[in-house]
Amino acid sequence: MLAAIRPAGQDFPVLLHIVGATIVFGALLASATSLALARGEIRLLRLGYFSLLFVALPGMALMWGAGQWIYHKQGWNKLPSNVKDVDWLTIGFVVGDYGGLFFIAALIVGGIGILRLRNGKSDGGLLKLTMVMALVLAVAYVVAVWAMTGKPTGASAAPAPGPGANAPTTTAVSVAATEFKFALSKQSVPHGKVVFTLSNKGKIPHDFSIDGKTSTIVSPSKTTTLTLRLGAGKFLYLCTVPGHAQAGMKGTLIVK
Amino acid sequence: MSYTDWIFALHLLTAATLVGGFVMSWIVVVALRTANTPDATLSLNRVARVGTVVIVVGLLGTIALGIWTAILRPELRPWHGWAIAAIVLWGIAAAAVLRSFVEYAKPVAKARELIASGLAGPSDELTALNRTSTGLLLRGLASAAIVLIVIDMIYKPGA
Repeated sequence: MLAAIRPAGQDFPVLLHIVGATIVFGALLASATSLALARGEIRLLRLGYFSLLFVALPGMALMWGAGQWIYHKQGWNKLPSNVKDVDWLTIGFVVGDYGGLFFIAALIVGGIGILRLRNGKSDGGLLKLTMVMALVLAVAYVVAVWAMTGKPTGASAAPAPGPGANAPTTTAVSVAATEFKFALSKQSVPHGKVVFTLSNKGKIPHDFSIDGKTSTIVSPSKTTTLTLRLGAGKFLYLCTVPGHAQAGMKGTLIVK
Repeated sequence: MSYTDWIFALHLLTAATLVGGFVMSWIVVVALRTANTPDATLSLNRVARVGTVVIVVGLLGTIALGIWTAILRPELRPWHGWAIAAIVLWGIAAAAVLRSFVEYAKPVAKARELIASGLAGPSDELTALNRTSTGLLLRGLASAAIVLIVIDMIYKPGA
């Protein structure tokens, strides 16, 4: 039951990404535990640091590289920023990128601590700091795993004031989702309040995202609604489940 | 997030915990191969105990929340072939890793015995126990089963 539903051809980079992430997570736990339980023992202090250097670092490179591969393969880099700035992806990038910098800082701090120990100077303080940094990173990884798997949108189905906030019209649009396409009852609507009713007629979960707002993910045979105000213009809509938009679940709605 | 989404996310969190626990245990197993004194063995055992707890929590959480997810989500069913394969592999992994805990408990018992006898120096018998091939084989079997579960989940039909 692991891994999100996705089109074929993206399994291998997802496998590498997951393997890399779990290697990092395990190595962070091993490092933090060894440093916390060392009680000044050189063997455990070294084990804690070298777990970071020789296990977590390669794991991080694998996770980051495979993550970038998935990002480009699923076409996220080609989407407008208001669509691709979904919360779960932002959390993933914050933990991956800023967490990576924090990890390098932990490696440097720990490395200085190990060098000082090697030179006969007691510097458990730096290694304690490394332990705290490893723990912080491990917690950040838990949050990232939750975000990447639960995919919270943070978007509300409540109306959001937009360019057409004063428009009096309310339009209902039925959206039928299948693998991997959307069928909308209207290809153009008047500006104003639009109520999208998403019906999943496929066999796997889908959602519907437009103008930065995303519906909840809908299981097969279920429906949900997404209500928002749209001003005049062309709006890209898509399914944000990884890979679905690239497989064809996207289009443009014209608002007059 | 719906209730189903939360259960699914928790399932994946426990799965990450399980695989992370295995990574942690391998770090200790490799470190144990150079441990030849009772002190070194017992200090590594402190880390190993945390790894054991992480693995057990991961094993229990993964299977319970995984079956629960399969019941809650209409497109998944526990009797699908890939799900049965995962459950069988989980059983193999659980049996192998629990048996390996017994193997790695032997050097700990020996280390305590040596310390009680006032023998704190290097011991060939202790070194041999720390390098247990049975334990290594069982841990390798459990890890292989876990890797196969991950592959099964990612490549499962409909994924």
